[in-house]
Amino acid sequence: MFSSILSATVLGMDAYLVRVEVDICDGLPQFSMVGDLAPEVREAADRVRTALRNTGISFPPKKVTINLSPAHIRKEGTRFDLPIAAGLLVALGVVPRDYAENIMMVGEIGLNGAVRPVSGVLQTVMLARQMKSKFCIIPRDNRGEGASLPGILVVGIESLKELLECLLSPSYIEAHTEALHLWEPECASYSVDFCEVNGQHGARRAAEIAAAGMHNFLMIGSPGSGKTMIAQRMPTILPALTMEESLEISKVYSACGLLVGKEGLAKVRPFRAPHHTISANALAGGGKKILPGEISLATRGVLFLDELPEFSRNVLEVLRQPMEEGWVTISRVNGKYSFPAHFQMIAAMNPCRCGFYPDRQRCSCLPGEVRRYIHKISWPLLDRMDLCTEVSRVEYTDLLKKTENESSARIRERVEAAHRIQKERYVGCDWQFNARLPSAAIKRFCPLNPKEEQLMETAFEKMQLSARAYHRIIRVARTIADLDKEEQIRESHLLEAIGYRQVDQKYWEE
Amino acid sequence: MEELYNRRNTTSKQSDGIQYIQQNHAAYPQKLLCYKGMPKGLYVLGKLPDKTRKSVAIVGARRSSAYGNQIAKSFAKELAGAGVQIISGMAWGIDGKAHEGALEGGGDTYAVLGCGVDICYPSGHRKIYEAMIQRGGILSEQPPGMPPIAGHFPARNRIISGLSDLVLVVEAKERSGSLITADLALEQGKDVFAVPGRIGDEMSKGCLNLIKQGAGLADSPLVLLEALGIKRNVSEKSVKIVLEKNEDIVYSWIRLQPVSLEELVKKTGFGSREVLFALVGLELKGCIREMQKNQYVRTDLRITNGEISGYRGVTSKGENN
Repeated sequence: MFSSILSATVLGMDAYLVRVEVDICDGLPQFSMVGDLAPEVREAADRVRTALRNTGISFPPKKVTINLSPAHIRKEGTRFDLPIAAGLLVALGVVPRDYAENIMMVGEIGLNGAVRPVSGVLQTVMLARQMKSKFCIIPRDNRGEGASLPGILVVGIESLKELLECLLSPSYIEAHTEALHLWEPECASYSVDFCEVNGQHGARRAAEIAAAGMHNFLMIGSPGSGKTMIAQRMPTILPALTMEESLEISKVYSACGLLVGKEGLAKVRPFRAPHHTISANALAGGGKKILPGEISLATRGVLFLDELPEFSRNVLEVLRQPMEEGWVTISRVNGKYSFPAHFQMIAAMNPCRCGFYPDRQRCSCLPGEVRRYIHKISWPLLDRMDLCTEVSRVEYTDLLKKTENESSARIRERVEAAHRIQKERYVGCDWQFNARLPSAAIKRFCPLNPKEEQLMETAFEKMQLSARAYHRIIRVARTIADLDKEEQIRESHLLEAIGYRQVDQKYWEE
Repeated sequence: MEELYNRRNTTSKQSDGIQYIQQNHAAYPQKLLCYKGMPKGLYVLGKLPDKTRKSVAIVGARRSSAYGNQIAKSFAKELAGAGVQIISGMAWGIDGKAHEGALEGGGDTYAVLGCGVDICYPSGHRKIYEAMIQRGGILSEQPPGMPPIAGHFPARNRIISGLSDLVLVVEAKERSGSLITADLALEQGKDVFAVPGRIGDEMSKGCLNLIKQGAGLADSPLVLLEALGIKRNVSEKSVKIVLEKNEDIVYSWIRLQPVSLEELVKKTGFGSREVLFALVGLELKGCIREMQKNQYVRTDLRITNGEISGYRGVTSKGENN
């Protein structure tokens, strides 16, 4: 007898329909599986046969053929165990054929018949909704991400027994449909807050400006001065997630299997801090099975690169194109995959190898060594950092001081207001934030008055700014003006932006 | 190894211009002849120091502070402007800054190396090395192609002190190679001056010890010019500069040692925005310099009652009298 069950495979970010076709006929006992399968998919034969026997369903000695269609797409992972089991149950006549029609299912099966979680469930449920499936059967551990979309029934199961009940009795489905974890805005809660940062006035202000204009931000300071602490708190002052952003983040996380056991979609902005020994593939995405990298896991959130000069150069070069485009495209032999990469980059570094330059009492680096240290970073990458500030050591008295520091919520209000202004201003443009304002559009959106023009001219000459640095200063000044809710960029905005300008090569020449 | 180093760091063009001046040659510096243990000959790229002009050796620590760098540079600039030749060792830190200042001041400057003259060591000083070939010279007792061997470097100090009329130590730790130069200079009967620093400052210990032992206290380049017998006319050109109130307050907290934005916020009691405005304003006026991100030092402009003056304003007359 023949049967066909709906399932899906996840390639890159999206799910694609796969039909699991099972045929059982008389002949020499044989179990063959076809359809461009990875080894772990082929192993499903043993898992499913054993699980069925352990669930009390005898398996007759017949010729079994299983095809995963379309047969030309590579199938990987253990998510086809469940549809294969369902297909066998239908083909064996245990479940009537029309009972299992138009039901999407994915899941891994253990030898005892237990159903285990898999990755990419969110995408699969989205596909099922789009195809107007009757309902979706997923592992119970995946119910958080599976049951977060309206418009589709989702049943989470824990064993093959439950699968049988689910397929055989419609009343079971009604009773066991997962409650929806609908996405609600403003429910973000972070475990850290900006009010825990004592002192560091300059860095706090720079962080606020960076968040307001989505500027990339570099912190320079000696070890233990609080660079990581500030970076960790960046997501807390970014505006609350919108539904679309949350869905984008969740899709990436689901593809990586990181939503297993979580409730619903992502509620907080991601904060990713990869170690400096990371490879280019791990950062950008790739691998044997193409998976999103750290930059995609940080999408709509913060990518924090601590000890920037320690990252190998080819790894950092990978960042350049995604930083410009907000997407990363990975081309491999078996296909091309695009992942979102709308991240805000925060980097931290020591001023020199020992971390104390220019304090000559403690720094033991030769001028040449200091220079070599900074030169390890590629300048094109530093060129993309709009803001730069020093984070100095916190003094003991500051550390203990019980002052009322401004909380993340208060800063976030100002940042949100600045974001609203930018969204209104850039209606119909390709970009949303000041950080992405193209140089060509600066004249249009950031006109300067004669007095301010004069100031920039002086600064350009005195500080030997490059054209790029000039544009960066104007962009940051635009953000500062937006924070002040002012239409026109004023002298004070420019002065502050100049103070936070990117380091020039000449600083380390001294 | 040696061959590899040479191939990487020498240029055939420069090795063409190298002269070898032996002791019996008329051009050999007379100053060196009166001491024992001087080299049989000198390799020269560029020219030898002018015998008719005064020369000053400026030496100091390689791991120098911002203060030391600035002092070395401004002293060298001022002396060079008065026609004095600056001699040093082209090492990192004070040496390099002294050469740089002399070149900026439009004077001649000479480097005595511990390796072959065709090798630029440290390689990061390529720029001043090239400039010095045009406006001064590179000297060494080592043959061209000799790689930088640590043992050769202290030996060149005797040539540095020997060639000069006066030795100025800018920054030195308690035990420093620059003190060897100072000792040699004393043995050779030269004047030794030291730039004072703050008590307790690691980088100033050597200099303070020298002063304790009787070295001259160099608090201004004018002191050195006087010791060399160069008369100068002081006509300090003052530039009127108006500091705003906040700028004035912030400026008063900035020294020759780097101060961070954070410290300034704490000391002035202003918000970080106000301090930053003032700092950028001061930077644009040329009163301070951002030597590293948000670390500020004073420049050599002096502000008194809103008036700025600099060493630049000093002019000299009657060179080498």
